[in-house]
Amino acid sequence: MYLEGEGDAMTKPGNRFFAPENPLSNSLAPIKDELAVQIQHLNFAFGKGDLCKQVLFDISLNLPKGQIVILTGPSGSGKTTLISLIGALRTVREGSLRVMGQELADMRNADRVRVRQSIGFIFQSHNLFESLTARQNVEMAVELLGRFKSKRDQAEVILTQLGLADRMDHKPQALSGGQKQRVAIARALVNHPPLILADEPTAALDKQTSREVVTLMQTLTREQNCTVLMVTHDNRILDVADRIINLVDGQLESDTNPDAFINSHTYKNSKHDDAKMFIM
Amino acid sequence: MRRVPLAWLNLLHEKTRLLIAITGVAFAALLIFMNLGFRGALIQTTTMVYGQLNAEIILMSPRTLQISATTPFPRERLYQAAGIEGVERVMPLYVSYLLWRNPETRISRAMFTYGVNPQDPIFLMPELQSPEATKQLERPNTVLIDIRSRPEFGPQTIGLETEAGRRRVEIGGQYSLGGGFAADGTLIMSDQNFRRFFSPRTLETVDLGLIKLASGTDAQRIAQAMQARLPADILVLTKEEAIAHDRTYWLQTTSIGFIFGMGVVVSFVVGTMIVYQILFTDIRQHLPEYATLKAMGYRNPYLFRLVLQEAFLLALMGYVPGLIIALGLYQLTVKATAGSLPVSMSWERAVFVLSLTVTMCGVSGLISVRKAIAADPADVFR
Repeated sequence: MYLEGEGDAMTKPGNRFFAPENPLSNSLAPIKDELAVQIQHLNFAFGKGDLCKQVLFDISLNLPKGQIVILTGPSGSGKTTLISLIGALRTVREGSLRVMGQELADMRNADRVRVRQSIGFIFQSHNLFESLTARQNVEMAVELLGRFKSKRDQAEVILTQLGLADRMDHKPQALSGGQKQRVAIARALVNHPPLILADEPTAALDKQTSREVVTLMQTLTREQNCTVLMVTHDNRILDVADRIINLVDGQLESDTNPDAFINSHTYKNSKHDDAKMFIM
Repeated sequence: MRRVPLAWLNLLHEKTRLLIAITGVAFAALLIFMNLGFRGALIQTTTMVYGQLNAEIILMSPRTLQISATTPFPRERLYQAAGIEGVERVMPLYVSYLLWRNPETRISRAMFTYGVNPQDPIFLMPELQSPEATKQLERPNTVLIDIRSRPEFGPQTIGLETEAGRRRVEIGGQYSLGGGFAADGTLIMSDQNFRRFFSPRTLETVDLGLIKLASGTDAQRIAQAMQARLPADILVLTKEEAIAHDRTYWLQTTSIGFIFGMGVVVSFVVGTMIVYQILFTDIRQHLPEYATLKAMGYRNPYLFRLVLQEAFLLALMGYVPGLIIALGLYQLTVKATAGSLPVSMSWERAVFVLSLTVTMCGVSGLISVRKAIAADPADVFR
């Protein structure tokens, strides 16, 4: 199943900044304007004094615009911390982190809120308001930018694109897990943010639904030329990525294309695809 | 197009909880209404007699606390007041308590007694306007009895004879007034009889001076002129001021004000806690959503407004049934007490309780909103 996916990915326009020959090097980094995220020597620690625990060590990473990047690694490796730093949800104290050209290091809270408005978030639990219909949940995101006139149309267009045309006036209670996650994706994409951050978006979904959801996400983000950074443990969806970054113990372990990633994590003699999953 | 009414939809989403919340707010509002109603009614009964006095200005000693706790003042003050322009008539009113024996049980109780000159049109009650009433008042040892006196005083039949203040007394007629908080029953007698029953008291000192003004005069202005003209041993009050004077006495220097004030405070606190509990649960349940809103880029003021809107909506939704039930209970009270506790709704009270209810919900909103503000957007990635 990976072969189909990777062939696909290689031909996509988002792949143009991908450098499989030299994945860990930043020497070929494109000019700044072409970078959605630029991280230099980022360190991060929780707590203070004796309780201080460093979780990220000297991370340097560039995400060009239009790439779909999967961030993977064992639990506790700092993936979630990294993504919440990129999402301007935590304060960067050491090193440099630029999102869409804006330096997040030591940024005031009010400015971080503004940065967040240009980022689409998708979560493991969909976090939809139970009291609102699918349409209203999506409209909440449009309202944030003050577009009250067009919000209804915008919500309907994106929900239709995600195949929820007949589910718009249902509350989350009346939606299946996949449909809820699609509403959450609609909410993240409706404002056409240049950057999407997704945390285990398929963790709660079955195989077929995850595939559907991820393919929709891939199609829409490609259309919008949007950068996607997705944390996942789900090997079934690795093929949608242009690039896979592996984070271990707070350090960048590898930065490759899906093909190389799968090969390097697979026993040569293994007959079962499933074996890969145990390793990752 | 308007904003998604998230506060409203959040409240509506949990029907059961909404119902409990509305019941809680309604109950608190109802308790406040009942306390204020009883307080108002008690105060009204104590000052009811002023409404039946045929005078615009009332003279009293500055040491007089209220109508049943008076300090007499010299009668000359009345004659001095009579000389002021605009005054049509001055009338002395004598008051005191008289021990009235129930002819059936032979138990004596204190009856509040008004002494009047039978020629003076002091009272407005229709029963006292007839020549027959005046004739009865002029008879020695004869009194008129208030039919709203408590039954413990015995029968109120006209012609009945009993003993009062160690003298034989006959009931010459009836009227309806009500004694209020200070008296279980009232009598009216002539000033001459008053002198007899309350000997050695003379008619040289009076308890209240009633002043009837010529029509078309300004009571407020004349009262001021009168106060300036008369010596300092006299307090000149318009009828409204006299009512306020008595009301202040009952509310501020007796336990009535405290008891019902306490009732209002307790209802307020209970209501606040109920609304707080509801809002807090609501916020805690929606915490992941609130964190998501903050992650998306909503700011704290939005959440602040959201919680306060919910509080405000709860206040309104609880107030309306509270008001309706209170109106029903007011009527029930009036019926059950045969009109002796005239509980009634006023616009001022309705508005006052509305503002208390909104404050109550606002306070709980402000306490619980901290939880929503504290929602950490970084918590969305777990």
